[in-house]
Amino acid sequence: MLTLSDVKKSFGAHEVIKGISFQVEKGESFGLLGPNGAGKSTLISMICGLIPNGEGEIRVNGKLVSKHRKETQQMIGVVPQDIALYPTMSALDNLMFWGKMYGLSGKKAKDRAKEVLEIVGLTERGKDRVETFSGGMKRRINIGAALMHEPQLLIMDEPTVGIDPQSRSHILETVKSLNEQGLTVIYTSHYMEEVEFLCKRIAIIDEGKLLISGTKKDLNNRLAGGIVLKLTVGSLHPSFIEQVKKLNGVEKVIVQQAEEIDVHLQSKMESVADVILLASQSGVVIHNMHLKEANLETLFLQLTGRSLRE
Amino acid sequence: MKSLLIAVKDAKIHLKDRKAILMMILMPILLTVILGSALKGVMGGGSMPKTVLGVYSPESNAMTEVIIRALGEDGLAIIVERAESEKQLLDWMEEREVHVGLLLPDEWDPDTERAIILRTTGQETAATLIRQMIETFGQMSQAIANSTTTVMAEAAALSSDGSTVDMEAIQQELTTAIEKVMNEQRTYVSEPAHEESVSSMQYYAAAMAAMFLLFNAMAGGKSFHQEKRSETLSRLMMTPTSVRSILTGKLIGAFLFAWIQFLIFMGATHFLLKVDWGPSILQTLFITFFYIFSVAGLAMVVAAFTTNEKMADIVGTMGVQVMALLGGSMLPLTLFPEVIRKIAKLTPNSWALTSYTSIMTGTSWSALWLPAGVLLGIGVISIFISSIRLGRRIA
Repeated sequence: MLTLSDVKKSFGAHEVIKGISFQVEKGESFGLLGPNGAGKSTLISMICGLIPNGEGEIRVNGKLVSKHRKETQQMIGVVPQDIALYPTMSALDNLMFWGKMYGLSGKKAKDRAKEVLEIVGLTERGKDRVETFSGGMKRRINIGAALMHEPQLLIMDEPTVGIDPQSRSHILETVKSLNEQGLTVIYTSHYMEEVEFLCKRIAIIDEGKLLISGTKKDLNNRLAGGIVLKLTVGSLHPSFIEQVKKLNGVEKVIVQQAEEIDVHLQSKMESVADVILLASQSGVVIHNMHLKEANLETLFLQLTGRSLRE
Repeated sequence: MKSLLIAVKDAKIHLKDRKAILMMILMPILLTVILGSALKGVMGGGSMPKTVLGVYSPESNAMTEVIIRALGEDGLAIIVERAESEKQLLDWMEEREVHVGLLLPDEWDPDTERAIILRTTGQETAATLIRQMIETFGQMSQAIANSTTTVMAEAAALSSDGSTVDMEAIQQELTTAIEKVMNEQRTYVSEPAHEESVSSMQYYAAAMAAMFLLFNAMAGGKSFHQEKRSETLSRLMMTPTSVRSILTGKLIGAFLFAWIQFLIFMGATHFLLKVDWGPSILQTLFITFFYIFSVAGLAMVVAAFTTNEKMADIVGTMGVQVMALLGGSMLPLTLFPEVIRKIAKLTPNSWALTSYTSIMTGTSWSALWLPAGVLLGIGVISIFISSIRLGRRIA
């Protein structure tokens, strides 16, 4: 459905996309994870033909976006990060307008708008102005506008930013259901739990580079440790970190802040006991400690040394 | 087709915006009522403003009385105020109670003694008119005086022959002839007739239409930035729609709303304020078409040469106010000095306003070709420049 081959993009001297390649199969749900400024939105803008790609190729259903912009745009539905709707127009009018921009005729646009309102669960509010909606409801109409022309590929750029848990849950369930019905979905977010919930394959990008991609299982296999021991200590001696790293069963040690340490462990009990013993011998006071299962966020941390939400 | 969708959407958004409706439709109607009524007195019972002429003549003789009476005739747009002293006349000038001052010397004789014409700033045209009238009066009185001398000499010769001559009758006849000639001369220096017969309400209806249609330039420019800020422009760009269609849509949108605005305004002023827009509605719509086209072009210029809504707002408001002032929407163009009138020809609203007032008093189609051409030119140039810049910016 979508193929990116060594795609690069620069704005002036600043290279924002540094040779990204990946493929998304028809009917797949593909997650694009990365912190703010990683290049996700730029990548999406290039796929949608909003900005031209510098080097490399982007193909949608085999067609080059750079050569067949209108045709590829017709196959794609985009949910932008911001709520790109006309606030003084009703939800129904907004949906109809966006449908017509994709070539739907008057009657068809109206019928489809009603269907879409049902999909996003806002049939009752169709005639109300969008400006009167809550943040979550606006987000749902924002998604609905992308569904109007029944695209083959739905690209969602952080569609749940700043909304209440109920609306977020509704959106995630809607997208999952659409994907199960055969719609190909690319979902970008810096909320790893959303990506884990929706996507079968995931790519992590940072600073314009693709760090890793694969199924959730593939990525879990790449995790340095299955468990993370999070410690909050009184005072930290540099030699303590070095000694912890040398302990059996310790994969990696990341100092989050001056007094917070993440110790990535292969197995649970033995290594935890060893770390506590070492702290005691080194005169390091442990104020707090807890164990956490490793996840995509942990993987991102391992790969970049930074948190996804930084 | 997609351009039309964008245009209709823009017009709908404008019409749903209460603030915009208030500003673009109700405000000009209100201002027409206020300005049209307030300036009715100044405009001399409904027509164009009169020039107030202050006159001081130390000695009253037949010649001064004839010229003063002639200048104050009802047919001319001149109100004559007689000063008691030269100082009073100068005080009036300083206080701007009179627009032009006329100092007639002792025993004024237009052939030998020159009258002094004083003018206040901005009244150069009125002063020139008064000077022309006095010069014409001088020339004519000189010619008639010469004729009188000749006739009297002839009559005296006849009388010496014993024939009977009624000298008084001849004198009376000559005086009547002088006055008649003076009246004929007035038409030579008068303003064009159509400007004089537009009522204050008619003038300000046309002036407010020209000014508030100009506000569309600002609104159109802002709408583009709003679309950009709210990311709907990006979303439009992600649909299979060309940049050209989007720009054309925005242009038609501004055009469409301006038409709605004008037709509502014209209808309201006609039916509520009884404003007579002239004998030919087709001529009015013809000029409006070209004027709105030029304004839609200016909207694109505002969008292209500003970077955000705030800047478009500031630039647009300033531009509209300067153009409104220069173009005669605030004060009639006839009150401005010649140089300002020439500068005013650079503004589209002055062409529209002049055309509207001409149409109101009846004008020919051929007289409208020039303003229509100028407005078309302004529109085409604006659209050409701005579409290049906007096209580059969007793409």
